[in-house]
Amino acid sequence: MMADLLSFSAVRYAYRGDWLNRIQALHGVDLTVPAGSAFGFLGANGAGKSTSIKLAVGLLHGHTGEIRLFGERIGDHRLRARIGYLPEHPYFYENLQVDEYLRYLGRLSGLSGADLTAACDRVYQLLDLGDLRRRGLRSFSKGMRQRFGLAQAILHRPDLVILDEPFSGLDPLWRARFKEVMQVERARGATLFFSSHILGDVEEICDHYAVIDRGTVLEQGRLRDLVGAAPLVLTGEGPAPQGAGPAGDGHWRLEFGEDRRADVLASLPTGARVVRLERQRLALEDWFVARVRAHHGAGRRLAEMSQG
Amino acid sequence: MILVVANATAREALRGRTGLALLGFYAVAVLLSRIVGWITPTDGHLVTTDLVMSLQSVVGVLVAIATGTALVQSEIQSRTLYTVLSRPIPRWRFVVGKFAGLAAALIIGQAAMVALGLGYLAVTGAPVTGWLALAGAMTAAEVLIMAAVALALTAVSSPLLGAVLSIAVYALGHAVAGLPGLIHHLQAWQQTIAIVLASLVPNLGPYAYRAEAVHAVPLPWPELAQAAAYGGLWIALLVAITVITLDRRQL
Repeated sequence: MMADLLSFSAVRYAYRGDWLNRIQALHGVDLTVPAGSAFGFLGANGAGKSTSIKLAVGLLHGHTGEIRLFGERIGDHRLRARIGYLPEHPYFYENLQVDEYLRYLGRLSGLSGADLTAACDRVYQLLDLGDLRRRGLRSFSKGMRQRFGLAQAILHRPDLVILDEPFSGLDPLWRARFKEVMQVERARGATLFFSSHILGDVEEICDHYAVIDRGTVLEQGRLRDLVGAAPLVLTGEGPAPQGAGPAGDGHWRLEFGEDRRADVLASLPTGARVVRLERQRLALEDWFVARVRAHHGAGRRLAEMSQG
Repeated sequence: MILVVANATAREALRGRTGLALLGFYAVAVLLSRIVGWITPTDGHLVTTDLVMSLQSVVGVLVAIATGTALVQSEIQSRTLYTVLSRPIPRWRFVVGKFAGLAAALIIGQAAMVALGLGYLAVTGAPVTGWLALAGAMTAAEVLIMAAVALALTAVSSPLLGAVLSIAVYALGHAVAGLPGLIHHLQAWQQTIAIVLASLVPNLGPYAYRAEAVHAVPLPWPELAQAAAYGGLWIALLVAITVITLDRRQL
């Protein structure tokens, strides 16, 4: 059984707004990230993904509830030696060169000497930054900054790699490369925890997921359980069972859940022939939109307006 | 850790355009100062020397306020500190390292100004003494105090307000030096206000040794040591205020 590397228990957090106003960003978040997993943290813009991440990496203080990192309550800055963090839209000092900057951040993570040089060489190779090591970050494009951002996050071989929207601003080639690098990190033994609202990426990389909306985790679990919960689709010919619809070419089609599989197959009308039985491919994006809309009713008003 | 942060901060500050632009402005102003020396009816060299030394203070303080206000606040706004503070470094070490790096960059800038200013005076035939170099060092100390003032005031307010308040502190800090001679002319309530205000800002009078240095008036070592200790205490206090503020800050 995997131990939890990061866990949130009833975590509430409010930002200070104007004057005495406080903006409640998290409303009792419960979340567990198992060691060795690739965890996709899903949520729409403003759902609370970045706030949760900033609390985990120690950039925000003043929450209620409990956050545990590597089994210990957060607060001890030494715990952060074991995490790597890529912020959303990362910004860096403009006047430092890539090599200077990486070495600076590596030293802050406790690296020095030959270890630091080897660590820099590793990320140069992984992210094709070797030729850019003497370049100032002032001249970097958004995608190049993102590459540097991932490089500094994995530089010190952290146990937990926390990435906030890692694919933002990347072209398709670099998106693919980032996924490869994330797999390399995972193969090394690191746990990946990343936020995204691009669900295809999550589906491709993750084995665990959580959905957050308006500061509340709606659900979390294994991705394969979620995919396994997709309905089965039975296509057949001959006499159609009750509830089946036309599927073209004289075939009929019936959708049902895994729990009804045996009943449906046993109760097929005499003469009915099964052409194929397959699991409907889960469109994660559709599922996510439906899940979040069901939570806060977004789009309901738009639908009412279009009907009325 | 502090030295690592200080090293990166000094490099970043020395390559920044603001400091270089103001150093360029200083160089041009120093060259033009000779014109004032030519048109003055008194000793032209004395006037030029006084002007060159004053320019170092004015430009240095401007650089200190510009960089001091940007030191931590701009990092919060531009989010450059996310990748730093997510590493195993306590915030107090980060702030102390940042200030140490800025101080190193300012000292290098001040040394460049002193070298440029005194070099120019030597070339133009004005008498250059060791007292002028000491006056330059005292100005550098004043600049460091002002950088700490800008850092702390920005931490508790905003960059713009911090810059405005820092300029006010600079003016008040020099006015405080004249307070003992003025206070007897004030009414009791005015004296109270003056004393309260004076105790809230660093007294910058001891660092304005320029006029005496131009006339080669010696600065007693006890006064020098006292000024150094006084400045050090103020810097420590102001950096501590910044640490406490940043520690509670939501990033």
